[in-house]
Amino acid sequence: MVRSIRFLATQAHCRRFFVGKTAVLVLWWLGAAVALQAQQPNAHYLHHGVMPPGAIGGRQLQRGGPLPGFYQPVEIKAPQGVLISLAVDNQFDQAMPAPRKAGMLIGAVYRLRATNIRLAEGLEVFPTIEIIDRIYAPAGQKLRFAIPVELTEEDLKLAIQGKFVTRVIYLEDPRRALPAPDNSPGQNWFEAAPGQDPLAVADGLGRPVAILRMGARLPDQGLDASFFFGSPPFVGFPATPKVNLLPPPPAMPRGERQGMVGSPTISENQVERRP
Amino acid sequence: MKHIVRHQPNARLWPNPWRMALIALCALILCSCRSPSKLGATAGLSSSAGSTVGQASRGTRAAPPDGRGDTLPREAYTGVPAGAGVPMAQPDMEQGVPLPYQPQGPWAPSGLSRPWPADEYIRDGGDVGVPADVSGRGELGGLEMEDTVAHYDTLDGRTLVEPSNKVYLYAPRFGAVRQVVGLVAHEERQHIGGVYLPEHLNSPTTLQLVADAEQNVQAAGEAAARPAVALRTRAGDGVMSSVIHPRAFQDAFKPYENLSVVRMGVFEGAEMSFLARASEAAIAWSHIQAVQVILDHTGAMAEVKYDKALSLYTVSSPPGDPKLRLVKVASTPFAQPGDEVFFTLRFDNIGNQPLGNVTIIDSLNTRLEYVADSAQCSVEAKFSTQPNEGDSMAVRCELARPLEPGQGGILRFRCRVR
Repeated sequence: MVRSIRFLATQAHCRRFFVGKTAVLVLWWLGAAVALQAQQPNAHYLHHGVMPPGAIGGRQLQRGGPLPGFYQPVEIKAPQGVLISLAVDNQFDQAMPAPRKAGMLIGAVYRLRATNIRLAEGLEVFPTIEIIDRIYAPAGQKLRFAIPVELTEEDLKLAIQGKFVTRVIYLEDPRRALPAPDNSPGQNWFEAAPGQDPLAVADGLGRPVAILRMGARLPDQGLDASFFFGSPPFVGFPATPKVNLLPPPPAMPRGERQGMVGSPTISENQVERRP
Repeated sequence: MKHIVRHQPNARLWPNPWRMALIALCALILCSCRSPSKLGATAGLSSSAGSTVGQASRGTRAAPPDGRGDTLPREAYTGVPAGAGVPMAQPDMEQGVPLPYQPQGPWAPSGLSRPWPADEYIRDGGDVGVPADVSGRGELGGLEMEDTVAHYDTLDGRTLVEPSNKVYLYAPRFGAVRQVVGLVAHEERQHIGGVYLPEHLNSPTTLQLVADAEQNVQAAGEAAARPAVALRTRAGDGVMSSVIHPRAFQDAFKPYENLSVVRMGVFEGAEMSFLARASEAAIAWSHIQAVQVILDHTGAMAEVKYDKALSLYTVSSPPGDPKLRLVKVASTPFAQPGDEVFFTLRFDNIGNQPLGNVTIIDSLNTRLEYVADSAQCSVEAKFSTQPNEGDSMAVRCELARPLEPGQGGILRFRCRVR
């Protein structure tokens, strides 16, 4: 009898020990799982910046919406003196000084030629522009609000040196926009850290709308249709169209009473009173 | 037997009228030309005659056809609202033809709040998120970026907050993310990590297979699983529910109770129609068989009594309903970085009592930079600015005098779009 009671006590002790170890193990496993989950990105991106030109835009078209057939105005900016050519029928058209505006189809890839680069005269760079989304400007304002694609001098020289430059142009979220002043020389841009996907970074900052790729070399066997990506059609526009703006509001006359030192006031006679 | 088919050169398969009709039909099909779709002229930014159109002769993707798979309206591609009647682009747009402003706004999918898409518009005005409120210590809380509110004191000591309407400004701004990759010279020498030298056999070796095997130890016993000799089962009580009836249950199950859910409490999907019919029947019976309440063999009686109010209390409201109306407008519906936009706030006392300490606060968006000393007011007021959470400014305007009923004013200031 004594032996059996001792045996039962030992068995109960072992059972408690086993339950305690199991609970500790489960808690440790849950903690590790939560830590690992926190390290994972909170989004799964279907597209990546290393995808070949045209792949992302093609998938965007498959998602539907008013994207197919729409010529999104794009303004190609470059340093002063740089000449830009667009591909037409598997050859480049007449080089025109930057900036240059063109309506480009979404999903198509446009091959450009940039020449007359400062301190690199005689060398050519062949960037590609892929429009992956559009913007919805008010009627009559589409040319004014074109997507800017900037070919900076630094990027052009990096491409000449053999580097491959990818620029993902995105539309900033106004709620999270940087309070950058308007006197900056170009658009705000960030450098994607090594190992980061520039498309994912741009998606975190806003809505990616275009991808600029630079660094392609001229093929030795000559220019073919694949180099021009089929020379998709585009619509050319003048770089600086004349658009009528709304007239500025009429100036308010300075009133007799001053609300604050240096702050002009409006005469009460000009304010309509309720009956 | 052989059939000899003779070729008859003069034999005609079809008669002449049929031949002529076929030739005429083919000529009609070949001569019919398809004119280019007129939609191509208005799709987005149309290919105008004078513009430099790259491969415009293709005309393959110049415009979405009307019979597209999706059911988006035409204005989804053109941006022009239906019935506007104004073309998107004039043929000589490059010459500087003025484009009229469309107050209807661009196309937006139905079911979504305007304006759409929201990331292309800067909002200013309203009170979004946590409602702004003035605490007992006079501190204004809940004022977030892009909010515009006014708070005032009433005659009964309250401090009320009134938001303005929302103003949207189309001002998209673009940024870029750059990544530069390239080949990196690898100058490290790679040494040999190991040498694989297979060793060959010097002399062949043959193995003799065992022909016979002798078991020296004899098996002592046979190990086998013992089959079960007894089977212990537990008897269910499935029969008990049909045998033992409730004490008050007078009879067996009725025919309409022949449902699994009634008998065993197990719901079966095949009995749904019967159950629904039974439920309706129960409802119909309730009209006929009214419930009677009997307490101690005496029927319950309803007593209705009317009590008159002995004393009359009246609630006297303060004289008037304080109300401030705040309307906000912008000088332009769209702007680019660097443009200046005027914002005008019209405030009116639409109540019937004076409002004191009227203060209007406009917390600007990050993209809007307040132009210093540009605020002006039609009544005597005191202006001040303070930075807000978006590294922008919150413009504050305090009216110096109480605002009488029917009185109003205008507050105006200028902002530069970043």
